[in-house]
Amino acid sequence: MTTKDFTVKWLAYALALLPVWLLEAFVLSRYPLFGVKPMLLPLAAIAVATLEGATAGAGFGLAVGMLFDAVSAGTSGGMILALAMLGLGTGLLAQYVLRQNLVGCFLCSVLALFCMDALRIGVRLLLNVAPLEPMLNVALREIGWSLCFVPVIYLLFRWVFYRVPKATVL
Amino acid sequence: MKDFLKQNGILILIIALLLALITAVMSLLLGGIANPFANLAGVVATPFRNGIHAVVEWTEGLYSDAFEREQMAQELEALRQENAQLRAQAREGEAASRENERLRDLLEFQQKHSWLDKEPATVTARGSSNWASTLTVSKGSASGVEAGNCVIDQYGNLVGVISEVGLNWSTLITVVDVDLEMGALIARTDGAAILEGDFALMGQGRLKLTYLPEGTQLLAGDAILTSGLRSGGTATYPSGLVVGYVEQIRSDDSGMSDYAVLTPAAALDSLEQVFIIKDFEVTE
Repeated sequence: MTTKDFTVKWLAYALALLPVWLLEAFVLSRYPLFGVKPMLLPLAAIAVATLEGATAGAGFGLAVGMLFDAVSAGTSGGMILALAMLGLGTGLLAQYVLRQNLVGCFLCSVLALFCMDALRIGVRLLLNVAPLEPMLNVALREIGWSLCFVPVIYLLFRWVFYRVPKATVL
Repeated sequence: MKDFLKQNGILILIIALLLALITAVMSLLLGGIANPFANLAGVVATPFRNGIHAVVEWTEGLYSDAFEREQMAQELEALRQENAQLRAQAREGEAASRENERLRDLLEFQQKHSWLDKEPATVTARGSSNWASTLTVSKGSASGVEAGNCVIDQYGNLVGVISEVGLNWSTLITVVDVDLEMGALIARTDGAAILEGDFALMGQGRLKLTYLPEGTQLLAGDAILTSGLRSGGTATYPSGLVVGYVEQIRSDDSGMSDYAVLTPAAALDSLEQVFIIKDFEVTE
């Protein structure tokens, strides 16, 4: 893969990420459903990791984590590491255990969202910020609502995937 | 697999770990000022925020015009009646105010006044996290906004406190956020209490009034004001801002003490225009 191919490929993924971010940050955040807003940026990282594999997934996760961290209040760097790890884990799962398709992406998304919210709940329990029950309530609604967007996001990135050079060299 | 992780995945994870550490340290050191990366992202995102905000406002306006005309007419009629009652109350208030002024002169008390240096700003985005209640506004350090400044709506009701400041944007935590804690006064009784966010109530757009003064009987609809003191004793807020109204009284899990559930006075879900209080002086 030439440098130009490489650049075009990741620019295409970055461009595909833009509407996902705009939708999450500026549109869906205004209209919560069942009192919660969906998490779309992690789903984008998982979709790319499913399609591209572990290495590229970790790299894209890192980039999405940086965006997430820069535009969200109160994350202080945690999402950079979390999404890079989720990207790597998803890529490995999709490559070696599941399949690199919508079902694989959906299963990885379920696992990743549960891991993220488990971490959030764990930190808040440790800091004694809130009791378990209301946090579980929010987490389950959040995961459920977010999972509704998996097909749309996966199909968007798959559309990009089939139009960019395949082999990834990092 | 081991070789693969050694060669690629681990390297990316190490980079991610370093970036996360750098971001965390910068956030700690800068204390309320956005780190350079977040600041740049905020500045780049500003045109998007403003553009999308304008489109959404326009669409909501069309919807309101089409479907809410009758409801608005009813609300207008109710507001006219309320306005007439308030005018009558204001006339009585003016007389009481003149009497208060005369009595203060008689006792040689300093005149009660408040001065607020307000910076108008527009709400351009709402937080997308379900774990915090935040708003992004259109003014930042270039307009003299600082972390800790409090934010009110056009009626003087407290909206929240600025938590992170960028060049031309700021993020504020609203009064229902779990991180907010401040001193409060019960307007009817002058009793002191503590306002705090509660995770379970945050989702319903409510907050808590705790450490209620002993023997105080709160009534639904009692107004709760800022006392002017934040926990820790620093005077960050002007006193007398309306935070919310008592909705109901509940007992905590132990059953030993009561707390009040408040409805914020500011309409947090539909706010468009806010005012950031950059400086203030209140003489009681």
